[in-house]
Amino acid sequence: MADLRDQTIGFRLRREWPAYVYLLPTILVLLFLNAYPVAYTIYISLTDFGTGGKGSLLSYHYIGLTNYVYALTTGWSTTLALVENSFFWAAGSVVLFLLIGLALATVLNQEIRGKTVYRTVILLPWAMPAFITILVWSNMWGYEYGLINGILHSVGIAPVDWLQHTDTAWAALFVTNVWLSFPFYTVVFVATMQAIPKDLYEAASIDGASGFSQFFRITLPFLRPTIIFVGLMGFLFTFNNFYPIYLITSGGPGISTQIFITESYNQAFGSLGATPAFSTAALYSVIDFVIIIAITVVVIWRTDLTRNWLK
Amino acid sequence: MTGIRLENVTKRFKTTVAVDDVSLQIPDGEFLVILGASGSGKSTILRLIAGLEVQTSGHVYIGDMLVDDYEPRDRNIAMVFQSYALYPHLTVYNNIAFGLKVRRVEKGEIDRRVKSTAQLLGIDDTLDRRPSELSGGQRQRVALARAIVRDPEAFLLDEPLSNLDAKIRSSARVELKRLHQQLKQTFVFVTHDQSEAMTLGDRLAIVHHGKLLQCDTPEQVLSRPANRYVASFVGSPEMVFLEGNVASTGSGFSFVSGPVVIPIRGESRVGPVTIGLRPWDVAVGRTPQPGSLPGRVTGVERLGPSDHLFVDVHGAGGPPTPTAAVRALVRAYEYDIGDSVWVAFDPDRALFFDAQGERLDSMSVLPRRS
Amino acid sequence: MKTRRARKWVRLGKRVVSHLVLILACAFALFPIYFIVITSFSTLPIASITAQVLIPKLSQFSTASYHAILFSQSPSFTSLLWNSTIFAGSSAAIGLLLAAFTGFALSKFNFPGRRTFVYFILLISLFPSFVLILPFYLEFAKLGLIDSYLGLIIPYSAGAVVFSGILVKNYMDSIPDDIEEAALVDGLGRTGAFFRVLLPLCYPILGLAAFLAFVGPYSDYALAHVFLTSSDKWTLALGLYNVASTDSGASNYGLVTAFAIVMSLPIVAFYMAFQRYIIGGLTLGAVRG
Repeated sequence: MADLRDQTIGFRLRREWPAYVYLLPTILVLLFLNAYPVAYTIYISLTDFGTGGKGSLLSYHYIGLTNYVYALTTGWSTTLALVENSFFWAAGSVVLFLLIGLALATVLNQEIRGKTVYRTVILLPWAMPAFITILVWSNMWGYEYGLINGILHSVGIAPVDWLQHTDTAWAALFVTNVWLSFPFYTVVFVATMQAIPKDLYEAASIDGASGFSQFFRITLPFLRPTIIFVGLMGFLFTFNNFYPIYLITSGGPGISTQIFITESYNQAFGSLGATPAFSTAALYSVIDFVIIIAITVVVIWRTDLTRNWLK
Repeated sequence: MTGIRLENVTKRFKTTVAVDDVSLQIPDGEFLVILGASGSGKSTILRLIAGLEVQTSGHVYIGDMLVDDYEPRDRNIAMVFQSYALYPHLTVYNNIAFGLKVRRVEKGEIDRRVKSTAQLLGIDDTLDRRPSELSGGQRQRVALARAIVRDPEAFLLDEPLSNLDAKIRSSARVELKRLHQQLKQTFVFVTHDQSEAMTLGDRLAIVHHGKLLQCDTPEQVLSRPANRYVASFVGSPEMVFLEGNVASTGSGFSFVSGPVVIPIRGESRVGPVTIGLRPWDVAVGRTPQPGSLPGRVTGVERLGPSDHLFVDVHGAGGPPTPTAAVRALVRAYEYDIGDSVWVAFDPDRALFFDAQGERLDSMSVLPRRS
Repeated sequence: MKTRRARKWVRLGKRVVSHLVLILACAFALFPIYFIVITSFSTLPIASITAQVLIPKLSQFSTASYHAILFSQSPSFTSLLWNSTIFAGSSAAIGLLLAAFTGFALSKFNFPGRRTFVYFILLISLFPSFVLILPFYLEFAKLGLIDSYLGLIIPYSAGAVVFSGILVKNYMDSIPDDIEEAALVDGLGRTGAFFRVLLPLCYPILGLAAFLAFVGPYSDYALAHVFLTSSDKWTLALGLYNVASTDSGASNYGLVTAFAIVMSLPIVAFYMAFQRYIIGGLTLGAVRG
């Protein structure tokens, strides 16, 4: 037993070193195009870069946590609104995605005539590049020339100024977002449901379980890992889903539908001509990042999501 | 020439010892079967020879070369995987030719060898097809062809027959044996199926918990198993064991297990001993014979040409006295459940095991005075 | 016990409700698309939008919007298309190469530090990508890469690496180790086995990864908007936004919709042709989980 040739790091290195060669380009990319920019963003959030028009590309100063203190004191109402909006936007969307996706998947998973046609049509919104369809949707929500109001008008309902009221603006956002994403969720759930062994249902129906209790006792538990996975991914994605809000409401009215990511973009690149408030933009990015990490860590810690990754 | 030698080879994974201090010498041209239950470490031994795993300690030689630091590709061995591991994206022809192309064998030579190997295995009409279009039997032949075509130092086969239907399996066995006789090369064949091992192997190496328990010819393994585990693992139907004690009885010593009292000779150690009997060495009759014991048939397993009989043996006093369960292989349809029978066994064939399960070479049944 | 008749009715009712639900879902999915198609082919300008536009009239059929988009735009449609293809194509190619190597290393090697690396890329990939526009912009401004092809291709290719790498890793996990081992025994080293056996087996997933890595830059607005200042480097997404934001009431509806259709057609066609395949690839991790 003195030898132990295969137990040392040196042995593993000798055998596995090509992995580092394969990973090298990716590591470089990640370092220079992800890690460094992330670190740089964090640094900018600690400076006065662009705040109040003081800084410029050439001169800015380290000011410690001043920006953070500002966000938690004087700027608290804005920060709080962004937190609330980001969570409302992400959680609300994901709940809708999951409910609608599950419901449609359950219906689609039956033996039903025209299944393929239904599935293909339902998939269409997902197949269109989101940026394009969001632009079209943003036109459709228009007050004067929007299709939605046009349809309401033809059935005798007065036009609604969708984007000028907080409630209707959110409604417009959620409807658009559901349209964009429900196809994917439906199809993922159908795919998972098809992997459930048929004899489970046969056994259950012999035991006298009704359709409903079969759904809750077999389908749902079987789907649980998928629901958690796509739910978390959907939440993280929507939390930072830029285009719907940027293109439809621009965060308005006021900042009542503004989320971190859009506010950050606006602060940096929003108004042409005005001095970009880079440090404020960076500040909101960092807060956004911290929230995302916290949520991910909690979900991963409470579930067994990483199993596939670290096999 | 090109035998294979393992010298005190140990392989440890994180928490388990998969191969525990195994030394094994496989002479050139031998068909060695490594036999063990699943998880016994038998496949790991094969993978250590192939170089797919590297041992924790010990040495592996192929021919006279120490290959511890050789990559699989430099060991010039061929392997047939349980799943066959055919390349799904290549045709049968290219699957077989792959190892030659990789070694930059000249094109005409490749073509000649692929075709003659395919012919040898009767798959020359499938060369243009993909593995997914083949039957299980054909895939297995392609896997064999891929190994044979390279003319390697040795063949390593990891349960290559276990994915075949029972019907094809026995003909595949015969064919494999014929192939070995034709090629006269070293085969190391891993299986958990003891009857496969008995029919194929020149020698069997029985592995349990990573340890090599015995390595010997099938006949020897069957008649002189090293210990109780080997005795029960090899042979079908399984060996009958009678747990008992050796006690001194007047003139000498006897083995006592319930109603069974057998005078023995040899080393006279007193204490717990187990006696092992092959079911085909247990004789059953309707009438008492010298030394036979009365019993009752409690179960019959109809195997076709013969029946596997379960008998409760009891003392002369009848059922209330302690009984012992034995089994016997008898002519088909001779007995039924409930029949009263007399049981005797061939004393020379009985095996003795000590409390640790090791076989006691020195002990045997005292021949009956007749 | 229900009677046979009653059960028949229940089953019929269930079927009717199912079809109703699905028809409703399809209508919801289709109506904006239908609206886009109808509008793009109708005469210009439309005074105001009402539900009536949804009923196509032959007399209003016109391809004028398409003509306008394709032939009388500034910058020209061909220039936009060319730029988009350059950006998306080269980013997809670079990203794909990196993803294939990453997937291989993560799936088939057990190198010291693997776990740490996976956590690292997980963490990195969580940082909102739109947020990186800011440091990119500042960094690239210093390097003089703003408003250049290279300046946009670099962040685009980086964007796809993590996601595609994991896609490839998941797929490679499903290829039995036996196959690679067979190649090792057959005389290849690990690199040889990767290029000659594993990589060809991954072509399908690499195709999907390439497509997804193409679609990202192809429909990106946020980064291109910040990075590209001269209109001769504009992409389709910028062109579309430009048309859509030109405020002229309903009169540019035809242009916007025609542009949207031309731009999304290749993508939609690809999605529809390979839908089963794409969903399979994307859900490999999720469904198995």
